[in-house]
Amino acid sequence: MSDADVAAKPVGLFDRSTKGLALPTVSVEVERGRIRFFAKALGESDPIHSDIAAAHAAGYPDLPAPPSFFMAIEAMADEERARLGQPSLVALLKCDFRRLLHGDESYAYHGLVFAGDALQLDTRIIDFYEKKGGLMEFVTIESSVSHAERGTLITATRTLLHRLG
Amino acid sequence: MAHANLDAVQVGDQLPGTSFGPITRTMLALYAGASGDHNPAHIDIDFAKRAGLPDVFAHGMLSFGGLAQLVTRWAGLVRLRSFGARFVSMTQVHDLIACTGTVTERFEVDGETRLRINLVAQALDGRQTLLGEAVVAVG
Repeated sequence: MSDADVAAKPVGLFDRSTKGLALPTVSVEVERGRIRFFAKALGESDPIHSDIAAAHAAGYPDLPAPPSFFMAIEAMADEERARLGQPSLVALLKCDFRRLLHGDESYAYHGLVFAGDALQLDTRIIDFYEKKGGLMEFVTIESSVSHAERGTLITATRTLLHRLG
Repeated sequence: MAHANLDAVQVGDQLPGTSFGPITRTMLALYAGASGDHNPAHIDIDFAKRAGLPDVFAHGMLSFGGLAQLVTRWAGLVRLRSFGARFVSMTQVHDLIACTGTVTERFEVDGETRLRINLVAQALDGRQTLLGEAVVAVG
């Protein structure tokens, strides 16, 4: 490789040709057991996430998902993508787990997710950028979780990064 | 669970603090399974060492979930309008994380009164791990 080739090599490990890519819509079903397991892993003490009677007493139709349950929805979507022979988000981005960190995560809530919900997840790869003189590279991803009758429930924005130094 | 009466809340008020941890390897294994985030950097010390890290480190989203509980225990899940955080440093195994929140703004959107809350997750040695913000509806 000549010096000119090295200089022209794009910085970073993410596959930047995926910028602007909208992944195919994925359908997932939320099970009570997954909400219970997720709440337990977080040390969640509120019984609305594990006890149907407590959820009903609080006015909910079924167990509501905790605010950060989006992670499990995304993981379920990746399992579904694998069944359909589609690449996962991290595979598309060419994430390197030896260098990968989570930059930020934020959610706007338009409605709650409940056990029994059939949901659709739409995900789009928004942009790539660098910081610290190229020692860190970032990707921004936006997703929305929607329900056929209740509309959009969650919009999510997240940033992943590679440590390149 | 009983939640706070948010009508009387003023800018500058602190939420009742919470803490979680100390972070154990079991917590990380359970969170990996429950969330579906199987990144081996959080659960496989052999992988972490090959990646040049001294040990596995905690999923940022585990602390994110703990920080969200600070808000939902206070305001109730149904009042949460938005929640987000930046992961400003790694959370290590054995860290005990203190979560604090301060009301910074009271404002109206579409006829609904809302509160903005600044959130901090911090390890015992003073290292800040997450800086977050939540918006909750009053009433």
